[in-house]
This record gives sequence, structure tokens and C-alpha cells, in this order.
Amino acid sequence: MEAGAAGVEVEEGVMRVLLVDDSPVDRRVAQLLLSSNSCAGSFHVIAVDSAKKAMEFLGLKDGGGKEQAIDMVLTDYCMPEMTGYDLLKAIKALNSLKPIPVIVMSSEDEPQRISRCLNAGAEDFIVKPLQSKDVQRLRNCSTAAARPTKGGAAPCEAAAVAKRNNKPPLVLPPSAAATSPSGRRANLAGVAMVLHSSSVELSQYLPLLLKLVVLAYAILCLGELLHRWSSGGRCSLSLWCA
Amino acid sequence: MAAAALREQLNALLSSMFASGLVDDQFQQLQMLQEDGGTPGFVAEVVTLFCDDADRIISELAALLEQPIVDFDKVDAYVHQLKGSSASVGAQKVKFTCMQFRQLCQDKNRDGCIMALAVVRNEFYDLRNKFQTMLQLEQQIQAQQ
Repeated sequence: MEAGAAGVEVEEGVMRVLLVDDSPVDRRVAQLLLSSNSCAGSFHVIAVDSAKKAMEFLGLKDGGGKEQAIDMVLTDYCMPEMTGYDLLKAIKALNSLKPIPVIVMSSEDEPQRISRCLNAGAEDFIVKPLQSKDVQRLRNCSTAAARPTKGGAAPCEAAAVAKRNNKPPLVLPPSAAATSPSGRRANLAGVAMVLHSSSVELSQYLPLLLKLVVLAYAILCLGELLHRWSSGGRCSLSLWCA
Repeated sequence: MAAAALREQLNALLSSMFASGLVDDQFQQLQMLQEDGGTPGFVAEVVTLFCDDADRIISELAALLEQPIVDFDKVDAYVHQLKGSSASVGAQKVKFTCMQFRQLCQDKNRDGCIMALAVVRNEFYDLRNKFQTMLQLEQQIQAQQ
């Protein structure tokens, strides 16, 4: 375990990532992905094997909000004792001047799990196994100050998750107003918190509602088609469509 | 043996591993990362970690399935771990078998699980042999240079 002291000295522009994963294989793959030359040394990775250790590292256990030298947390979802989701909530509950972005990874590509994490304030959700193309998404979610975003940084959650799932993000509303990444993030975080606290159940029904709407529309179209086919005279259908 | 002949052997081995579906694109990505990224021994390290991890999990599974009353939740948790690490390393066959194994766990099908474990074990041993040969060949090639 490479957990270092809080005051990790890194060069300007290097993102300090706290990697949380109980699987030694996944930890190593993630570490190596982030420290390879193709990332141009822009990540400094600290790896821990449990959410509890992550909490200790971030000083959360003592209830203190001491300034941690971490720019981002990359955590696995499924872990024994304390899940990545619980860790995510604990980090987001911190009242810090510099909120830490959290990205959740999971081997399960489950829409409910994804929207639950995004609702809780996760900046992004990556389906494992981690690949080099996912590394750009980590950069997009950085809090490192004055970092010029390369290659047209897409908004973290919405575009990335949509691309991965070919579905529109279901719950987080667009925050058109905020233009800067941190402004947008704070905006979204605020709204996400409200949504989370007041309408967690609603968000679970939204996918169902959407499906019902689509189904109703499909039935209407089908009815229209059938009506046209049988316009030569089937009374029962024309009654229905009249 | 000359380095060229060794390299040919290694390439043939890797081709057959890909062709037979033993490993998938993820493994290729790891190999490419090692070549482009200047992190030598990357693949060897991950492969070794995977083999140790899988070995451990398979032993735990065997012990759990021998119990008179099987704790399918625990079995499922271990299979989930194995599925995860095989996906991360690109061990495709093992990963697919784990997926089927998980279904059998959820069905609480004890005999099915025992059979699935046997299949996973065989596939893992086969993969491990090929990995070991691959690493040996790489070392020999390195030694020649």
C-alpha cells in the first residue's frame, strides 16, 4: 500500500488520485494505466484497498475536514464492509472549500447503479475494466486549478455516461448557466443533493415513466398504421381510431 | 535459441491465445501499454497478480462448495471477484465461465456450481500455463538482447 502523508509534494499540473479498490489486480491495472508514459506523468496515484482506509487517508474518520492533498478519488463500487457508494456519500458530505471529485468504477453496467451514483454527486461513472481511453475522463473531472482542458472537455457525467450507455442522463438537469467546470460542478452538486434528498424514489420511477410514454406512442403509431391498412373497411378498428 | 526464433514462438503462442478466445482485447491493450508506455514488466506483474488471486479464489470456492450447506452469497461474492479480475486482465474464457457461474449461484444450484468450478479451474490452469510459457519466452528473448 502506497498511502503517503497528507502533504504530498507534486509538480504543478500533476493530479493526485486516491485509488480505492479491494481487488489487487484491478488496483495494479489502474495504477499502471495512470502512470504509463502515455499519460505523460500527469497522475500521482495513491492506492488503498478499502473504503475505510480511504476515509482514514482523507481524515474523514476523525471528523476533521483537514485540507487533503488529493485532487480526485477513483473508487470501486463493490467492496466489502463499506461500498464505494458509501464512500462517495461521505466525501460529498464534507463541507470543504475545495470539494473533491469522485469517480466510481464498477464491473456492472447497471443504469440504476449509475444514476444512483450520479445522484449522490459522483462526477463520473466508469464501467470496468479500466482502459486508457477512460483516462481522459479522469482529466476532465480534475479540480487542479487553471488546467486547460484538452480536446474539448465534455461535461463529465452527462456526455461520458451517455456515450457509454447510449441513453440520455435521466436525472441530473442541465445547468446551462455555469460555464466553468467548477461552477458547473458546484451547480450540479447542489441540485443533485436536493434531488437526492427529496426525490430518490421519483428518480427510480422516471425510467419507467419514460418507457410507458414511449410504449404509448408506439401503440398510437401502430394503431394509425393498422387503421390505414384496413381503411378498406374493418368497422371495429375504425371505431377505435375515430 | 536465436532471439528471432524465440520471438516467432512467442508470437505464435500469443496468436493462438487470441484466436482461441482465451484472452481478449483488454489483454492486448495491456500489452500495448507496456510497449508504448515504457513500463517494462507491466504485463508480467499483472498476470502474476491475477494468477495468485485466481488461485486463492478457486481454493476458497472449493472449500465453500464442500460444505454440507452451501453459502451461495459467499460463493457469488468470490465468483464476482474472479470475474472482475479476469476482465481487468483480459482473461476472456475465465470471465465468461464466471458469468455463467454467477447465474448458477443465484439459482442456488449446487451441482451446477460444482461443475462450473471444475470448468473455471481447468480454464484457469490452461491460461496459467500459457502465461507462464509466454513469460519464459519473454525472459529468454530479453536475455538474448
